[in-house]
Amino acid sequence: MHIPDGFISAPVATVGCVVAGGSVAYAVKATKKKMGEKQIPLMGVLAAFIFAAQMLNFPIAGGTSGHFVGAALAAILLGPWRGILIMTCVLVVQCLVFQDGGLFALGVNILNMGIIASFVAYHIYRGSALFGEGRKRKLIGGGLAAWFSVAIASVACAFELAISGTVPLKIALPAMAGIHALIGIGEGLITAAVLNLIMATRADLLELQKA
Amino acid sequence: MKHSFIDKYSDLDSLIHRLDPRTKFIASLAFIISVVLTPTSNWRAFALHLCLVTSLLIIAKLPPFYVLKRSLVIFPFVLLVAVFIPFLKPGEIAGSYNIWLWQVSVTYAGLLILANVAVKAWLCIFSLILLSATTKLVDLLKGLKQLGIPKVIILILSFMYRYIFVLVDEAMRMRQARDSRSFGGGRLRQLKTLGNMIGTLFIRSYERGESIYAAMLCRGFGDEIRSLRQLGFKRIDASFGVAFGLVIISSAIIFW
Repeated sequence: MHIPDGFISAPVATVGCVVAGGSVAYAVKATKKKMGEKQIPLMGVLAAFIFAAQMLNFPIAGGTSGHFVGAALAAILLGPWRGILIMTCVLVVQCLVFQDGGLFALGVNILNMGIIASFVAYHIYRGSALFGEGRKRKLIGGGLAAWFSVAIASVACAFELAISGTVPLKIALPAMAGIHALIGIGEGLITAAVLNLIMATRADLLELQKA
Repeated sequence: MKHSFIDKYSDLDSLIHRLDPRTKFIASLAFIISVVLTPTSNWRAFALHLCLVTSLLIIAKLPPFYVLKRSLVIFPFVLLVAVFIPFLKPGEIAGSYNIWLWQVSVTYAGLLILANVAVKAWLCIFSLILLSATTKLVDLLKGLKQLGIPKVIILILSFMYRYIFVLVDEAMRMRQARDSRSFGGGRLRQLKTLGNMIGTLFIRSYERGESIYAAMLCRGFGDEIRSLRQLGFKRIDASFGVAFGLVIISSAIIFW
């Protein structure tokens, strides 16, 4: 879902940069208020963690392999604003080091995979807590949150490509959403498994978003 | 373990490598924006941009095979657009095929969009490869800071860059351990194992982050990372910047 440069038009890319810039600035402020100076090493190490976790592949059908995205996990464990901050750093490094996603398109990529994915995941996970606090329900909520974060980010991506006039919406939307609905299943299952492990070993870390 | 995958070739020596990171960053951004803004099918402007970026790649002494291989990242997106071509706008038909019961026709308007998008994406990725293969990330971050990116972001990115090596090592060790102990298993089981690995990695990273902060406090951290290398904006940066800007602006004036 990392959109390269050239696929989105200049107005869309500019809007993406402005929205992403504003949100990241706010995220820095919100995180600083909660954690102070401590945020610097912790956010840095956790961004490196997401980066390392993305290198662990798992096989999908037909010899292809997928990897974990992690926006949902970061948002569920640390809250949406810290999630945005972490994903922004991951995307910046992926762009500047691996050319994964464009430079002018960076704003749009941060919007999709950072801001939208984090907020969707966080609110679905919190919303699922309304139905009870049991362990199973939390795991299902986490899995669903991860699935939706991937699916809705891909829908946003389809809209941006369509507004740019690169592909027509009526085809881009089902194609992007369809592919990512499948990818999202893996993401959801892994996120649930991660939450399961953390609940069993360091349940206190699940309360970080409230701190 | 080996980490040559991060800023590979950035320790070569060439004219481009010696430029100030700020010059290179602004030039790359200007190049990309200029390519994105170029109107559809303006082939002469695209050709000029291609000449510019290839000559810079050659001056930077980057291996052509590496550049081409790297540029394949955009392939999935080009494919995505290519798949949609048959469904694009009606217009003069360039060719039609029968796939099963489907009459699929490709129009010139559709092909034009594909060619346009592919060319633009390729030009942009070349300039991004040029930037990242000639600049060390640490220097680039320092340059970005002086260009006004907030210090907190730069500090977080520097920490991230430092710990990528440590955590990737850790992840690779875990993968090696898993691969040498387990032999396949169902897909669900594999995902569960992966979840446990990622969860363990998260807990270790979190604890590491806390102890790093404690260590920083012990050593008197004062919201700044110092390093010996100073950035310097030299005459060559000014002349490169002016020449680069002239080419891009003239291409805009001549070909639009």
